[in-house]
Amino acid sequence: MKMKFFLTQIAVASLFFLGCKHDNYEAPGSILSGRVIYNGQPVAVRTNGPQLELWQDGFGSLTPIPVYINQDGTFSASLFDGTYKLVRKGNSPWLQQSTDTIVVQVKGQTKVDVPVTPYFMIRNENYTVASNTLTANFTIDKVVATSNNLQFVKLYLGSSMLTDEVRKEHSVTADVNTLVLGSNTTLSTTIPDNLKNLPYIFVRIGVKSSASGEYSYSQVQKVALK
Amino acid sequence: MRYKYIYLALLSIATGVFNGCKEDDWLQRQPKDMLTDSQVWKDPVLIQSLIANYYDRLPSLSGVFNTGASSEFDDAMWSGHVDQNGRNDFAYGNSYGRYWDPQQSSNYPNTSYVLIRDINLTLEKMDKLSVNLTEEKKKQFNAELRFIRAFVYFELVKRMGGVPLVTEQLIYDYSGDATPLQVKRAKETEIYDFIYSETEAIKDNFVETGNSRTRANKFVALALQSRAMLYAGSLAKYNNLMSAPISTPGGEVGIPADRATDYYQKSLAASQAIMASPNYALHNTAGTPKGENFYKLFMDESSKEIIFAKDFATGKVHGFTYDNVVRSFRSDIEGSSMLSPSLSLVESYDYLDGTKGTLRDKDANGNYIVYNSIADIFANKDGRLYGTVVYPGSAFRSQPVDIQAGVAEWVNGAYSFKVGNLGSVFTDGKRLTGFDGPRDNDQYVSNTGFYLRKFVSENPQDGVRPSLASNWWPWFRLGEIYLNAAEAAFELNKPEAKDYINKLREVHGGFPANSIATLTTDIIRNERRIELAFEDHRFFDVKRWRIAHLVWNGSETDPTAVVWGLYPYRIVRPGHPDDGKYIFQRVRPTRFRRARFFQMFNYYSSIDPQVINNNPKIIQNPFH
Repeated sequence: MKMKFFLTQIAVASLFFLGCKHDNYEAPGSILSGRVIYNGQPVAVRTNGPQLELWQDGFGSLTPIPVYINQDGTFSASLFDGTYKLVRKGNSPWLQQSTDTIVVQVKGQTKVDVPVTPYFMIRNENYTVASNTLTANFTIDKVVATSNNLQFVKLYLGSSMLTDEVRKEHSVTADVNTLVLGSNTTLSTTIPDNLKNLPYIFVRIGVKSSASGEYSYSQVQKVALK
Repeated sequence: MRYKYIYLALLSIATGVFNGCKEDDWLQRQPKDMLTDSQVWKDPVLIQSLIANYYDRLPSLSGVFNTGASSEFDDAMWSGHVDQNGRNDFAYGNSYGRYWDPQQSSNYPNTSYVLIRDINLTLEKMDKLSVNLTEEKKKQFNAELRFIRAFVYFELVKRMGGVPLVTEQLIYDYSGDATPLQVKRAKETEIYDFIYSETEAIKDNFVETGNSRTRANKFVALALQSRAMLYAGSLAKYNNLMSAPISTPGGEVGIPADRATDYYQKSLAASQAIMASPNYALHNTAGTPKGENFYKLFMDESSKEIIFAKDFATGKVHGFTYDNVVRSFRSDIEGSSMLSPSLSLVESYDYLDGTKGTLRDKDANGNYIVYNSIADIFANKDGRLYGTVVYPGSAFRSQPVDIQAGVAEWVNGAYSFKVGNLGSVFTDGKRLTGFDGPRDNDQYVSNTGFYLRKFVSENPQDGVRPSLASNWWPWFRLGEIYLNAAEAAFELNKPEAKDYINKLREVHGGFPANSIATLTTDIIRNERRIELAFEDHRFFDVKRWRIAHLVWNGSETDPTAVVWGLYPYRIVRPGHPDDGKYIFQRVRPTRFRRARFFQMFNYYSSIDPQVINNNPKIIQNPFH
């Protein structure tokens, strides 16, 4: 008797589970991925910082889909197949082109590189460690010629991959008045106590334009201390 | 057979009903569940109760005893229930501070334009239907309604920038074309100018409420003018001093720099008019200690300092005392300690000798400074510290509080810090951890070592559910007007600027007369922080000075973006002169998980995409 009761319960419960199939929407299966690039090089950014935005026409009211950019300049989003408009937003270390949309056809795995015009780019960076002092050599190029002044150049040291203006263990600021654009710049710092005993640290250079609230960065590099 | 009788009975009832219809008064009865237009607009009592409803809906961000939102800036952290620890672990989002939602819903029952529509409707109906009201009454009501509307527009402009300026009902004509209802955003300057012109137009129309502190009158309108014009002036000045000023091409956001002087002058003139009125005075009870005097300013409803307040009474109460009472004074197991003031706020209060308020916990060599009594480190501080914060060694409800984090035992040439449960006793038979903590990573007990005193009632009954507290919320008070005047005068290079600040520091803080010789923006900004702490000013102040992204830069190593605490320890070192004395340790509370992070896009909240879908003429705010 009791058995029968349980069986009935299971039967009823399984009906509920069957029902769920019809209620649920399918998850988006296609993936749009790519990089933000300038001259073929990805532009590194702050993690959890600058965003791209996707819009899709044809479904009534418009709601943007935010796409976060990884710190190394790559991004990805799970979407349904279809046509999207990709927008380069403000609050980024590159020129805002919010009315200049890129039309993207998403079908299965889609790769799109988004060209941007950063205010400044960092190249030829290399780091050397000698007797607890880290020295960075790098070159800063000015990309946008007008209404764009060099505001800050900083060297960041951190214990994790995610090192930037906001997340860092240590940073030093270069003197932008003496810095020469387009030629080699040297910036060095003593490795602080909380980092110097680690086997390796992560370092990165950031440059901020007066025209933007965000920095553009060099790619994070792992530097062995031992 | 049985059905026949039923049919007959039904038939006779139906006939009876139809017969009844002959009488006109059967169908033409006054509804008992609603009031008709003709009833409402002819009755001054009903109109007044309608306006009371609008006063109740005046908006704020962290004001009107909003414990939760008040813990999201740098003046405090959240120490209440752990499931709300998100308040210590978030970055200001796109929509933070948004006050413009697409429609009325249970989430946003009082969204801005619903309230504006209600006011516009009332103004129009009163114009048309209130024929039997006296001109005086009409003038009074009209002025009050327009004050509330200006107040709502001020709340909108300070959070969203320029918004559609709607001053009449928008009624759809069912033509299939909704474009006449789509109003585009006004310029940011136009909204500030609207607030000025409205308050100017109505200020002399308050014929009945001259002495009221809970309904608008001339000085309440001027207080709004003083604050709004100061905001506009500082936006005009400081936005344009940024390396990349925040603006839109159409001026929905961004005020031209050349308007600054005009706005500052208007603000100063309004402030001066209020200060000249004999109705108002800085709260100053002779013979009362300054800290007590500052605390009483908010609790004593006869205070002449309050210009406009939201009153509470039995039946209309708030839980602020319940939320924030010192731990050992709580009345049940859930209340108390939710807002824990930060060390940076406590250190913003200067010493009475004029030195900076940084607490002296360690000497130049990094050794702990030993204090004989637990309260000595706070000695000779600005009286407003006592009036705002309950710190170790002070009293609450005439009883000493028991704030002690633990003991510092001297072991092998160094202090070893030991903590225990609340109210625990150390092996030497004396107090280990106080009944009021602080205890790191605990709930309903301070995590910073400080408790809130401002607005928290001395009456034990006010902390008991469900009767709770009924002290009022000050929307405007004379202390703020002094600060507004000082800031505007300073920006206009007038020498009297420092006199306003010095007067305030003397009366409220207990400083000697003329304690500041040279005024700076930093002093003005610090005075605003300490005088107006927890009064819903901080967020908007740092925003309009355009320093929010620097103060709350999201950096875990930055002292202004992180909420710190100060834990007192009793020294256990038998035989040594320091035994039984106290040292203080700066701590970063475990529950404070993420530095405050204000990004450029937070200067103006994003506009909901649904709003833009409904009205394509709306332009999104910058960076969104």
